[in-house]
This record gives sequence, structure tokens and C-alpha cells, in this order.
Amino acid sequence: MPQAITVTSALAVAWTAFALLVWLYGDSPLLVMKLMFEGTWGTAYGAGQVLFKATPLLCTGIAVDLALRAGLFNIGCEGQLAVASLAVAVVGARTGALPSLLALPLLLLVAAVAGGAWALVPALLRARFGAHEVIATIMMNRIADAVIGALMGAGLAVAASVRTQDIARSAHMPRLDVLVPAFRGSAASLALVLAVLLAFGSQWALRRTRVGREITLVGQNAVACAAAHIPVPRRLALALVLSGACAGLASTGTVLGYKGYYEIGLGAGAGFGGLAVALLGRSSALGLVLAALFFGTLQQGGLAINAHVPREVVDVLQGVVIIAVSIGDPRVRAMLTGLTGAEATP
Amino acid sequence: MTVANASGRDAVAALRLAGIHKRFGELWAVRGADLEVRTGAIHAVVGENGAGKSTLLKIAAGILAPDEGEVWTFGERPARYDARRAQAAGVAMVQQHFALFDGLTALENIILGAEPTRAGGRLDLATAAQRAARVFEQLGASVPLHAKVGTLGVGDKQRLEIARVLFRDARVIILDEPTAILTPGEVGTLYLTLRRLASEGRAVVVVTHKLDEVDAHADVVTVMRRGETRGTRPVARGADVARLAGELIGGEPLPGLRAEAGPLGETRLAVRSLVSGRALQGVTLEVRAGEIVGIAGVLGNGQSELIRVLGGVLSADAGEVVAGRIEVVHEDRQTAGLVLDSTVEENVVLGELRQFTHGGLVDDTEVRAAAVARIDRFAIRPADPRLPARALSGGNQQKIVLARALAREPDVLVVAHPTRGVDLVAAHAIHEQILAAAARGTAVLLIGADLTELRCLCRRILVMVRGRIVAAFPPSTDDDTLGAAMLGGKVTAAS
Repeated sequence: MPQAITVTSALAVAWTAFALLVWLYGDSPLLVMKLMFEGTWGTAYGAGQVLFKATPLLCTGIAVDLALRAGLFNIGCEGQLAVASLAVAVVGARTGALPSLLALPLLLLVAAVAGGAWALVPALLRARFGAHEVIATIMMNRIADAVIGALMGAGLAVAASVRTQDIARSAHMPRLDVLVPAFRGSAASLALVLAVLLAFGSQWALRRTRVGREITLVGQNAVACAAAHIPVPRRLALALVLSGACAGLASTGTVLGYKGYYEIGLGAGAGFGGLAVALLGRSSALGLVLAALFFGTLQQGGLAINAHVPREVVDVLQGVVIIAVSIGDPRVRAMLTGLTGAEATP
Repeated sequence: MTVANASGRDAVAALRLAGIHKRFGELWAVRGADLEVRTGAIHAVVGENGAGKSTLLKIAAGILAPDEGEVWTFGERPARYDARRAQAAGVAMVQQHFALFDGLTALENIILGAEPTRAGGRLDLATAAQRAARVFEQLGASVPLHAKVGTLGVGDKQRLEIARVLFRDARVIILDEPTAILTPGEVGTLYLTLRRLASEGRAVVVVTHKLDEVDAHADVVTVMRRGETRGTRPVARGADVARLAGELIGGEPLPGLRAEAGPLGETRLAVRSLVSGRALQGVTLEVRAGEIVGIAGVLGNGQSELIRVLGGVLSADAGEVVAGRIEVVHEDRQTAGLVLDSTVEENVVLGELRQFTHGGLVDDTEVRAAAVARIDRFAIRPADPRLPARALSGGNQQKIVLARALAREPDVLVVAHPTRGVDLVAAHAIHEQILAAAARGTAVLLIGADLTELRCLCRRILVMVRGRIVAAFPPSTDDDTLGAAMLGGKVTAAS
């Protein structure tokens, strides 16, 4: 199990770095870790908050993983999520006439379509001209910021604010405390359940459907697939669009499950967090869920220890995990050689 | 160490490789190669793509370590021969792809890694410039020393690479395909430079597959085939190059295979005046049902482009291809044929999942049944559909690719180098499959294989030179005649 070794050693290195940093701050690493645990899995509320934070990370993690299977790096989840969030908020504010059972599926569709549409541009650039998707998706992140700012200024925002109108009551994603009363007060919603279903569903589809399998094969050797008459550009484009759709679905946890409206910056960071989740999750549904929970725990844990050491210590921990896992990931190395144009030695 | 005598030749070889073996995974790159290089001469090492030339010379330069065999430099055999020892012994290689920094000046590139310094580690650019100027004097050429390398032309860059190795006092200079990207004028200049270096008492080794250059410029030639060296001999200008061409791709007869002289059907593949870029200059050929037609030619005369146009990967600028369903077995099975990390099963039905898909879902039982049937029919070993394709030998990997192509029952089968790097048993099995396909009425175009292989399998052998089919021969034609034709008639007068 070389994968398990990579992940375990990455976590060990990261925790050591974390302990060292806390110690340098003059605090007891053990105490801080204990506080971190108590603030997260120690109480039902804390656990609920972890689940809440893990929800968008899981969606973007699935998104990045899906693209990675085709050999593509989707760095554009930030923009895809932002655009989808705005779309969901705008449509959600207008679904008052619909019951939840109709409004929510409609909004899921809107989120997926908006996220997918934002990924369509880099997908077409890649399929048609071979433009590197890393550059194109980063570019689309910046364009998303600009377009959203312009649209908000042009009337989508409530006057003199950076937020949209409230969404309709029927558009709210039910909170998890409906099922588990102990979660009361935390923002975890049914979006988590949907995200977990998405994790297992996407892995199943990659394994069982023709298109899913061809996406995986193209990711392993596009030249051989093209020679065997698999429509490679179409598979690549589809993988990136589906990836964008998954990233867009992360808005169900933030806009529909939590805020009830979109404000500029809502969900920011989840897109990049998805890269970490995908790299740690190693293309398995369970792995992705655990990775999302892990990073959700760190985010919530950072708040719990803020009184002792700066919350940013947790960011360092996250960063070290990502770097350590990336070093062992051949796909990351492939992307870097692809970007620099360096040739692998024979 | 010996000193060059009056004739410019050393008594002791400048470089001697003995019994070299090197394999990469399943593939033997070099198996049993000997090479002796002397100072004062230009020594050409020729062979087809994949014959092991570059690997052998990389071993000579200490870039790769041999699995077996000895490397001697000027009569000495270092215990551990690596790039550092090679440099100390004066052996240097100019790689096919330039390793220069475009943003630095020519001078900075020359001295990089061997910078002359003054006290305190300060760069001594004045000394550097002086020494570089002396190097260019030796070269009999000059490059603007203070120009950024990015602004220089290809010829200048190459002179710069040679200057780099001379700056480090190289006495054995190995050049890997140095003329691949040069214009004819620059090629002439390069060989003038190399001649100068040789006459100054250095050894020059040129790895190439361009026989006309060997003919015009080399003093000694070593032929490599399938990882083995097939002897070294002096070049007699213009006299035996046709024979060389035959040697390059010829070989021992294959056991017990002969194309049947059955009746031929109608034309299945018609290529008319096909033009693509500079590589294809009007290719015209026809293959009929049941016929195997071979294309012989020195590498780089448009064969790869023809394969890619027929495979639909490259588009033609003019002309037409009239054919039914074409299946192409590309020359590089590992990159263009297989998804190495996927299973044998996935690979043997690659691109055909549609027929095993019902309601969007793949029926794994059907895939398995089809895969097992093909594994049986083509004797793919080990016969385990779940093994990764990477785990199979080169011959069995090739069988997977061929099985996939033939299972689709194409009207036309285009096969490139089907048995390169493949052991004899697998090669035999592959030949049988190709003959059987023809017997079933498939039109087969076999490209760039051994002449012996072409003779055994083909009804007709076409010769391709500079993007055109220039001649057609019956399979009984001898190596010399074919070799002469492959050189485009330029040496027919000499032969």
C-alpha cells in the first residue's frame, strides 16, 4: 500500500511541523492539540461545524479529482463555485412559489450548470487548441471575480451592500439538526449528505459507465486512446465541465445551507481546499470524504485554538500536508513537467 | 596515456567499449555491442531508430551505466565510469537537443559550470573570453560571444555546444544526430569543423542515420542493428554505401514464413498524390485485398507522416486516401498503442467499450469474455486479463495492439515496425497473424521493417525516398539493389 504510506507519512510530517511551531510559540503542543480536538469532535456542536466546513471542501475535492482522472488540473474551482453561488442565490430568491421538493432540485441543477458553464471556456480552449487548463482556469478565476463584482454593482446586490437578496424559504437546504437534534446551532446541512452521495456516485460512474472509463483511460494515455478512436478532446472537455459542475454544487452548503444569500467572498478558499482534498483523497470515494473531514476539522480546530496560538498555525499544518502529499503524487509531477515543458528523462 | 603519432592515429583506442549490454525494463536497448574509436578520424555510428546507437554512446559518455560490459578510455579502465570520470578522461557528448540557456550570453553558456575565477571566487570574465576565443580559433568558426543565445541561429547554437565541450578539453567528442535540424549548408560547415577537430588529434564520433553524410564525411563506420554492433570498417567514399543501407535494415532469414501466392481481390487502399507538409511530397500507392505491401526506406523519408495521415492523426494538404476502415498499428506501441497502467483486458478492447455498453453502463462480463477470446486467439502471455499491460514483455504488448486492430476486422491494416524490440518467438507469432489477416482478405501495408521481414511477408516492396514512392520491387530483390534505391538513386551511379 504505497498510497497509504504516502498519506500516513505526509500526516506525520505535518503534525510534527505543527507541534514544532506551537512549541516555538511557547505553548504546549499536546495542550493545543487537546483543545483542537475538544473544539471539533469533542462536542456535538463542534462536530456539526466540522461537517459544515467539510461540505464545500468535499464537493470541490470531488471536482478536482474528477478532472485529475482525465489528467487535468482544475485550479478553477474558486471561480466555478463563485459563479454558481451567485446564480443559485439569484434564482433562489425567485423560487418562492415553488415547494422545497421542486425548488431544491432546480437549484442543484442551477448550481451544477453554472459551475459547469464556467469550466466550459477552459474546457473548449483545451479541447480545441490544447491550451493548458491550469492557466485557463486560473484566468477564469480572476474573470469570475471581475464579472461578479460588475453584476453585483449592476443591480444584483442589495443597495449599498455586497450581498444579494435573501433566498426564498423553500430554497433553504434543511439543516442536519432536523435529523440529529444534537447538531442544533451548527450550520451543517443536508448538503453534506448530497456531497457524500456525489463522492460515491462520481467514483461509481467513473468505474461503471463507458464515458467514465474512457475519461480515466484518456487520463492515463491520451495518445493511445486517440489512436484507438476514443474522442479524446471531447472526453477531456466533458471531464472539465463535470468537474466545474461538482465545484458549483459546493454552493449548496454555503448559500442554500448556511447564509441564505450570496455575498462577495462567500466560499472563497474552498476551491483551493479542494485541491488538497483530492490529493489526499487519492481517487477513492471514502478517501475523499475522510480528507474533506480532515481539512474541515483543521478549519474548525483553528478557531478553537485561536486564543492560544494564531489560527494561521493551522494553515501551516494544511500547507505542509498538501506539499508532503504532492511530492508523492505522480500526477502533480506530470502537471509540473507539462507546465514547464521539461522532458522526462528516458 | 598515449600521444598521437605522426599519422594522427593512436596506437591505443581513445575509447573502447566491450561487450556492452543495457536494458530498460523489458526492452533490450543494447545487447552485445563493441566499439573502438581512435583519434584523428570521424567515426560514424549508424543504425535505424531504436537500434541502440544513442544508448551505446550515452554509456560511452558516462551518462548511462551499462548493465554489463567494459568502458576503456585511452587504455585505462576506471572502476566506476560515470559522467564525472568521462569528463576527466576527456569524453564529452553533444546531445541531440541543445542544453543551452537562451537568456545567457554565448560566453556565459560556454563557461557555465567551469567558470575561471579570481581570488575570492570572483568570476574572471577576461580570462574566460580569452580562452573561449582560443577555442573558437581551434574550431575555425566564431560565434558572437556577448550575444544572448536566444538570438542565435541553430548552426551557431551547435557550434556553441561544441565550443562548450572543447572549453573543457574534450578529446573524444560524441555528437548525437548533430545534423537533424541543420540546413544543408550548415551541415557542410559542421563537418568542416569536425574534420578540423579530428586532424588536431581528437576523436570525433557522429551518431546518425543519414547514410549520405557517412558517405561524404566519415572515415570509419560502425553499423548497429537491434542493439548489436555489426562490425566496423573504413568508409570508401561512395563505394559501399548501398551495401551499408542493406546492412542497416537487413538481417538473417526468418524461419519458415512465406507469403502465399493466393489470388488478390480488388483495391482496398488507394493513396493518390498525397502531400503533407514537407514530409510527404506526393505519395501514390495501392494495396489490394489479400495483399501485403511493404515500404522500405531510410528513416525520416516520410514513413512516420504517412502512417499518421493514414491513422487520421495528421491531415493531408493535398491528394486523397480511398479506403474502407483502416486500422493502424503505430511504431511506438508504448505511447501510441497501450495504456500501460491499465489492464490487458482494458487495452485489448480499448476504444470499443461502446459495444459492451448497455444503458450507459459497461457490462464487465461481456468485456471479460471478449478479452479472454482475443488473448487466446493471439496467444498473449501471461493469459491473465487483469494484469497491467506494463507487466507484459514487448512482444506480448505488441500482440495486444495487433489483436485489437485485427479484431475490428479492418479493410486495411497499416503496421509499422511490428517486431522492433521483440523476441524471435513473438516476432514469429506476429508475422503469422499478419499473414493470416491477409489470407482473410485484409489489405496490409507494412512499413519500415527489416528487409528480410519485408521479403518474407510482402508481395511487393515499395521504396520511399524524400516523401515519394520511387520504386517497386518483387520480394526476391537483393539487399544491394534495395539499398541503392533507398538512397534515392544518388549512388546508383557508384554501385
